[in-house]
Amino acid sequence: MDPDAVAKAFVEHYYTTFDSNRAGLANLYQDGSMLTFEGQKIQGAQSIVAKLTSLPFQQCQHSITTVDCQPSGAGGMLVFVSGTLQLTGEQHALKFSQMFHLMPTQQGSFYVLNDIFRLNYA
Amino acid sequence: MDPDAVAKAFVDHYYSTFDANRAGLGNLYQEGSMLTFEGQKIQGSQSIVAKLTSLPFQQCKHNITTVDCQPSGAGGMLVFVSGTLQLAGEQHALKFSQMFHLMPTPQGSFYVLNDIFRLNYT
Repeated sequence: MDPDAVAKAFVEHYYTTFDSNRAGLANLYQDGSMLTFEGQKIQGAQSIVAKLTSLPFQQCQHSITTVDCQPSGAGGMLVFVSGTLQLTGEQHALKFSQMFHLMPTQQGSFYVLNDIFRLNYA
Repeated sequence: MDPDAVAKAFVDHYYSTFDANRAGLGNLYQEGSMLTFEGQKIQGSQSIVAKLTSLPFQQCKHNITTVDCQPSGAGGMLVFVSGTLQLAGEQHALKFSQMFHLMPTPQGSFYVLNDIFRLNYT
């Protein structure tokens, strides 16, 4: 399957899950997964989902502007995303950039080994 | 050596070289290196340096705001950078995000296997 199409499909699935059911992100991470969220380092699916589900907003909507991907040389795929994040009740959307390093699972899917998220302040 | 210190040292070296002597970036890439620059995909050290040295400005200055890093699971290191780029003669600096996947060389240094660059438009 075309890598760009795989990256795009992953990105859509990730943010749709994030926006509708953050706890559902747990099966996209494993024990060795790492998240750096605005400089805070978190390791392992449980801790990562605990962090994401405790973010201080009830509802949000990600809108994706750009998706770039490259093979990572380890059988994995690097995905680089930019977009905006609208929190319910806030007047202005936040801008963000995020990179994922996806590794294949035995079932033919992908999980997130590396995840780095940064807001882009104006 | 502390990974965060290694990432920071690489970032300082990369952007100092970029700002002073773009052709000098040649030895930070190899034949299998990949650059995606504002959506354009380029492969191999020669083509990458040709692209970077042909960018439509004479002088520029990168200012780094954030540097995040994680081990990539292949003996490599992922580095995620955000900052601003001031072009000589332009009134306003551009904002950018960039990710690098660094792999170790036999000499104990690093080269860039993956490089993705995006401007962050306001």
